[in-house]
Amino acid sequence: MAILECKQLHFSYPEEPKETLSELSLSIQEGEFLVLAGPSGCGKSTLLQLLKKEIQPFGTRSGEIIYAGKTLEDHPPAQLTKDIGLVFQDPENQIVMDEVLQELVLGLENMGVPMDEMRRRVAELVHFFGLEPLLHAKTDILSGGQKQLLNLASVLLLRPRILLLDEPTAQLDPIAAKEFIQIVYRLNQEFGLTIVLVEHRLEEVFPLADRVILMEQGRIHCEGSPREVIEQVWKSGNQELITYLPSIPRLYLELDPSKEHIPLTVKECKAWVEQVLKPMDSDQENVECSSDGLLEIKEVFYQYSRQTPWVLEDLSLQIQQGDYLAILGGNGAGKSTLLKLLGGLLSPQKGKVLLDKQNLKKLKKTELYQKIGYLPQDPMLFFVRETVEQELIASAERSGQVDPMKAVDKLTSQLGLDNILYRHPHDCSGGERQKAALACLLLGQPEVLLLDEPTKGLDPVSKKQLASLLQELHVQGITLVIVTHDVEFAAQYASRCALLFDGGIASLGTPQEMFAGNVFYTTAISRAVRNVLPSMITCEEVLKHCRVVRSTL
Amino acid sequence: MAVHIGPRERPGKGNQSVTRGLHGFHPFTSWLYFIGLFLLSMLLLHPIYLATMLLGIVLLISMQGQTSVLRSYAKSFLWIGLFILILNPLLSHRGQHILFYLFDQPITLESIWYGITMMLSLWCILLVFISYNHVISAGKFLFLFCRLFPKTALLCLMAVRFVPLLKRRLSEIHSVQKTRGIDPTDGPLWKRARNGMLILQVLLTMSLEEAIQTADSMKARGHGLFAERSSYVPYRFRRADYLFLTLMFLAFFCCVTGWILGYGHLTFYPGLEGIALTASEIPYYASLLLYLLLAIFIEGREGIGHPRV
Repeated sequence: MAILECKQLHFSYPEEPKETLSELSLSIQEGEFLVLAGPSGCGKSTLLQLLKKEIQPFGTRSGEIIYAGKTLEDHPPAQLTKDIGLVFQDPENQIVMDEVLQELVLGLENMGVPMDEMRRRVAELVHFFGLEPLLHAKTDILSGGQKQLLNLASVLLLRPRILLLDEPTAQLDPIAAKEFIQIVYRLNQEFGLTIVLVEHRLEEVFPLADRVILMEQGRIHCEGSPREVIEQVWKSGNQELITYLPSIPRLYLELDPSKEHIPLTVKECKAWVEQVLKPMDSDQENVECSSDGLLEIKEVFYQYSRQTPWVLEDLSLQIQQGDYLAILGGNGAGKSTLLKLLGGLLSPQKGKVLLDKQNLKKLKKTELYQKIGYLPQDPMLFFVRETVEQELIASAERSGQVDPMKAVDKLTSQLGLDNILYRHPHDCSGGERQKAALACLLLGQPEVLLLDEPTKGLDPVSKKQLASLLQELHVQGITLVIVTHDVEFAAQYASRCALLFDGGIASLGTPQEMFAGNVFYTTAISRAVRNVLPSMITCEEVLKHCRVVRSTL
Repeated sequence: MAVHIGPRERPGKGNQSVTRGLHGFHPFTSWLYFIGLFLLSMLLLHPIYLATMLLGIVLLISMQGQTSVLRSYAKSFLWIGLFILILNPLLSHRGQHILFYLFDQPITLESIWYGITMMLSLWCILLVFISYNHVISAGKFLFLFCRLFPKTALLCLMAVRFVPLLKRRLSEIHSVQKTRGIDPTDGPLWKRARNGMLILQVLLTMSLEEAIQTADSMKARGHGLFAERSSYVPYRFRRADYLFLTLMFLAFFCCVTGWILGYGHLTFYPGLEGIALTASEIPYYASLLLYLLLAIFIEGREGIGHPRV
């Protein structure tokens, strides 16, 4: 029986000529694990918010949303609060109280649940989540993953029948994200909880979902089981949506025309790969880099305060002119700190950071920041003005361009920023913000660009656009250093990778050297094909290899 | 004195240092105690009374294990105090005893003493906040005020939560904007001011945006939707609460009576009264001591019961 149904739903935000949702009909079965995907701005988050009555956005709406046989408006509000739970994207902003236990029981207290009942619920749920050690901790010391688990737990305490999740893992690192998704999956499997998950990381959720709905421009583009959706998208040939396919099914579809059983996991893919691909010895091609170091960090020590341990200890790293370096590492390994040291935002307690053999400390600040562009993890920290255009013009003027307006115009058309030029940076999507901030940096004509997690929270299409933009800059000879959690991204685009661990660089080399040698910390493709093609780490490499093999036959 | 410590606030062993002392009382009791402390710090404008209070509050804070918090604020508090201490004699020239002339401005003994008193009063208020924040958790605050003013309580709670968040965010914005040439610590004054405004503007926009999400998350969990709110922690008025409240009120009213009679606030202008305590005001001073010692006793008693590890 359908527990939740949308009938002919139309929705548009005030002063927005285009409908955000148009003619959307959808029914969600009890106990279903439903994944909603689609490019940012396709209306999936709006849909989710409409399903949760307390936070429905303002705007004009027509059509019905029916929950358990009655429209949302006909249910008593208390019932809906309890039955439909929502976890938001940002782990930080959802937390209200200063202590974990207080945060957990907030919803229950709001609803006036008696104390005994509350204690029982908390006890059993805390047990399920293994939150005991954190029960009395302050909420601000938790990691992002822990915060998100806390948010989930505090929603679950209300015993919802439907759990809505709005990109819950977008701000988490891959390991925390995987754990979170697994917990959600367990809730679905073990308790039959209905799940509606909006998500970009389809690689993780495709093997778990019962049904996937792919949305585009406020409509449902296609829906069905994960395999059906993959096949439909592939057949449609829509390049934008094809980027949504995880690398494993994509590899399969490229190579196997029979399309009998599309593999979703490494395990399935491995079996198939070993049948179709011929083993090949690894041949390492060495990427040549010019040898003079442009940006150099020498025996650096850094700690945030005297009481805290060293974040970086005796770290040395050389970045060559024209390098495209990806710095990888776990949470709290000091990746962002390293990047800030490189950019001169922080200075080391011991050791030196050199740009062109000159100590950063001795360089004039204006000159330094002109040569090195730094993009923070949250691009919102970057913008200070009302519109993107003002932001660009200010950057151009600051860099001393001869004709600022002309430079802005040129870059705008080059990067395709025309449609957001007059928007407030807050009203842009994540991908657009990244692009706008990058444009500001580029107007300063920097030699080095430092980017902190540029792919965080981006949908696959924006990610691909960003990747090709960075690729272009790399070709132009700009030195790029990115900090990322995204193994696939680093494997595909970077020319060198550095793994940060325990305060130092644990390994450094080309992506091939690094990921082909790793067993756990590597791409899905590498894990799937390692027995036959030990040196291959991306879908493109395997495809290229296969083309070569075929043409030589 | 049979002061019985109220219910343990949290089940299980949890964080021992948090379950102690004033925490054991009903939120209303401890809240009233702090309100009393705030009022006394503002009313008793007398250097000896205030110095006593300052000592008492520092002792209270250290017994609550909050010395590290105190240390982190100490520097800024010191500056604020010194600022007042210096500014008052420079701006106010009232008083009969002119000590010396600075840039042709008379510096009077009275205005210096007034500055010292204001500094002490401010320090007391600021320090009480440290202890207050430690004892009155967000949960207790909601328990106290949610039924009466659900919206205001939510607003206050978010405002309090905001302060450390704003501080962190501000330093982030500053370090990033520095690289873009917007630096309020560098350049001519007008430029600094303009840059500072720009940065504050970003801070506000970002924070408001986040506050909307926080409010949504509270609404999504039914805040203010239900008439009857319950509490996870079984707060009950115990005998200990009544006893504590009675003693507290006694001491407080004694202080206030003294204040009405003219004890415990010094007349600074036009001429300074004698600072030393007179015999007749000893009872009032003693009642202030009692007020301070009540909390210190409660906190200290807890320490004795448990062997220190």
